Amino acid sequence: MAGFLQQVIEGLGAGAIYASLALALVLIHRFTGIVNFAQGELAMFSTYVAWQFTAAGLPFWAALPLTLAVSFAGGMLIERVVIRPVEGAPELTVVIVTVGLFIFVNAAAGWIWSFLIKDFPNPFPVGAVEAGGLTVSHSTLGVLAVVGAVMGLLYLLFRHTKVGLGMRAVAADPVSARLVGVRVGRTLALGWGLAATVGAVSGVLVAPLLFLEPNMMGGVLIYAFAAATLGGFDSPGGAVVGGLVVGVAETLAGAYVGFVGSDLKVGVPLAVILCVLLLRPQGLFGRAAVERA
Amino acid sequence: MSGDFLTVTDLHAGYGDARVLHGVDLAVGRGEICAILGPNGAGKTTLLRALSGMVRVRGGVRLDGTALAGRPPDALARLGVAHVPEGRGTFTPLTVEENLRLGAFTRRDRDGIEADLERVCAYFPVLRARLGQVAGSLSGGEQQMLAIGRALMLRPRLLLLDEPSLGLAPLVTAELFRIVRTVNEQERTTVVVVEQNAHLALDVAHRAHVLESGRIVLSGSAARLRADEQVARSYLGYRV
Amino acid sequence: MSGPAETAGEPMTAEKSETVGKPVAAGPAAGRRGALVRAVTAHRGRLAVAALLAVACYLPFQLVPFHVFQLTMVLVYAVALLGLNLLVGHAGQISLGHGAFFAVGAYGTAIMIDRWDAPHLATLPVAAAAAFALGLAFGLPAVRLHGLYLALVTLAIAVFLVPLLKRFESVTGGSMGLTLGKPAPPAWTGLAEDQWLYFLALAVAVVTFLLARGLLRSRVGRALHAVRDDEAAAEVMGVRLSFHKTLAFAWSAMFAGAAGSVYTWVIGFVSPDSFSVTLSITLLAGIVVGGLGSLAGPLLGGLFVMFVPSISQDVNEAAPGVVFGLLIIAVMYVAPAGLAGLAARLARSTMRILRKG
Repeated sequence: MAGFLQQVIEGLGAGAIYASLALALVLIHRFTGIVNFAQGELAMFSTYVAWQFTAAGLPFWAALPLTLAVSFAGGMLIERVVIRPVEGAPELTVVIVTVGLFIFVNAAAGWIWSFLIKDFPNPFPVGAVEAGGLTVSHSTLGVLAVVGAVMGLLYLLFRHTKVGLGMRAVAADPVSARLVGVRVGRTLALGWGLAATVGAVSGVLVAPLLFLEPNMMGGVLIYAFAAATLGGFDSPGGAVVGGLVVGVAETLAGAYVGFVGSDLKVGVPLAVILCVLLLRPQGLFGRAAVERA
Repeated sequence: MSGDFLTVTDLHAGYGDARVLHGVDLAVGRGEICAILGPNGAGKTTLLRALSGMVRVRGGVRLDGTALAGRPPDALARLGVAHVPEGRGTFTPLTVEENLRLGAFTRRDRDGIEADLERVCAYFPVLRARLGQVAGSLSGGEQQMLAIGRALMLRPRLLLLDEPSLGLAPLVTAELFRIVRTVNEQERTTVVVVEQNAHLALDVAHRAHVLESGRIVLSGSAARLRADEQVARSYLGYRV
Repeated sequence: MSGPAETAGEPMTAEKSETVGKPVAAGPAAGRRGALVRAVTAHRGRLAVAALLAVACYLPFQLVPFHVFQLTMVLVYAVALLGLNLLVGHAGQISLGHGAFFAVGAYGTAIMIDRWDAPHLATLPVAAAAAFALGLAFGLPAVRLHGLYLALVTLAIAVFLVPLLKRFESVTGGSMGLTLGKPAPPAWTGLAEDQWLYFLALAVAVVTFLLARGLLRSRVGRALHAVRDDEAAAEVMGVRLSFHKTLAFAWSAMFAGAAGSVYTWVIGFVSPDSFSVTLSITLLAGIVVGGLGSLAGPLLGGLFVMFVPSISQDVNEAAPGVVFGLLIIAVMYVAPAGLAGLAARLARSTMRILRKG
């Protein structure tokens, strides 16, 4: 039993990372209806920015806010430059543009920082907390705390600030939002900036566990997609729950299903996506009816 | 007519290649309720959309001397133009209170906003009872009240109402128009209302204009239009 | 989804051009030259194909084996892109995992040869059928929903495939892959191995092109276009959307599988890392740049996928990705019909000049 709980804890740690990237995906999808296939790559790029700051001698906790600021500005810039021209275009066009962005950002990171793996500093102290026969590493605790904090901040932003209210208005009805005086264009850019920031958090959290390299987020992205599908693409809370569930499911499948093992764990998100599509296409917490063909 | 608050001169508007307004001239005095009558497809809704910046226009629109034509809707909202659109434009997933507060999105006077929230709830007591409720759960009439309430939260200098009676029970409609009249009398808000129900509109309005095929074909005081034989035949449904 | 009207508004240019080019400008003074131009314009689609085929048959006798090999790979990619084009360009659905179906075809052929010594040519229909069946199986849950989910599912498949191939080591050869003999040219042809492979690939490409064209001209094609241009309207008209979309996905998987099969003949080696997500994304890039929705698109895309990386690789390891990424975005902005669209535009204006001449 303790072993099982231990696995659940490990899964939650992994799931929190998926949750943060899923959160970034859901943020953009809610505001613009776009699924940003480049989200993982943007997070990877942000992580390189953080690495660059630490390589220049900054301590991690000083590099982090700088990185988040850069990511926020970068996200807004990308919305303005790359996405704005195809606003209102057919979904296929927009998806293809984000795939192009995916390829470009991936290669650009490789060009700037090379494809060789880099060590990324672990922001959390080595060691673990032990209680009741369970071991929880500081790293896992830290990841959970950070993702919890991000969730909390987003909740405050959306529920208790005017900017957040404007963003929710745009998500609900852009035409009406414009009529009451919300600057919709600016709000969409804000949404991308916010998503890039949240994504950057996931990149910075995952880098110490894996290694920093341009393809680092490719795998994470799939888990994040599964998390968002499970939670519902328009539900930030659902993204977090979905991320945790997918993380735990992955860890348990790897530990207890002999056939899956550690190498086939990446089949879990595929299975999750297929199951959700078959059983509850709108996801657990999705409100919007999924367009059925 | 130098005393006019809103002046529209030679206004053209349309969607893509389809032109709907062909040179509309219109003047509305400060604190007036102005009704726009006309058959379906005459361009009434387009006229309101042109006034709130939702469609591209050519021509002149001035509000108290400020040129409005060509500005986007959010800029016009900041200039005090509140549009209650066709279909009401409710933010359905948000609560009633959030919808109302969005009406005051461009304002910064916190105390004034709280006071106006109170004021709107006084006009529409049914909204006060539902402040925390999701707006999508309201009935059609309640949503129309919410839409007007939201527009009032802007403390508008110009209130544009598009078919407030559409799909509502006659009693609810009468109540709505009574409130519009009260708001107009108490706060001197200038109102342009587009309405199919000419009776109602002429009862509440000071002046009225008849729009046909994108042009104003008849203008005058509400009393005069009510007495006009042609209007009576076309829009009031009886002979004088 | 609203259907990629803009992406694919232009794309049928390749076929439309036949009508566009019909003799309208024959003034009274247009003499014999006018008649010639008319004949050329009226049949220019067929003439172009004939010329292209002639060149295609001539080239392998003029080029060094390495270049013949490169052209063979262009044909292989073109067949895969033909499938992807069917899905993205004609049905308006998106797949980020076509590399997986390519891999199914490649591994299918490899395993049949490795285990049962199957004759090379016989493996192709089986491999293609396997890819078709898999496409059908995965298409069913994904395609009936919003277009986005097909992209998600296919991406997840592509990611999952590599570890899966590595796991079943006894069959797939694991990380080491499988090495196989290449089909030997029959003596009567007098061809060298590279030339024989080239002509095999050419034959498969021609057959699949004809198949795709037949498909698109049939009821199926019309249904697909209806789906792409306006799903709601298509449904009202009684097009069985999910049926046609699923079928389009399965067909496109089949073409990718056929391409994979030929890939194995040509390369004589398969390993999991050749079929990573990168392949899928490269294929998507190829068809977008080549031209969505046109018959020439896959061929141009094949050339692009084959040559752009090898040329830009010299600049920097990351250069192909940078070029791909930028080009995809640029194409979506300025030329949604891709290279094929640009070529068609060019051809149209040339013809106009000729007619006026």
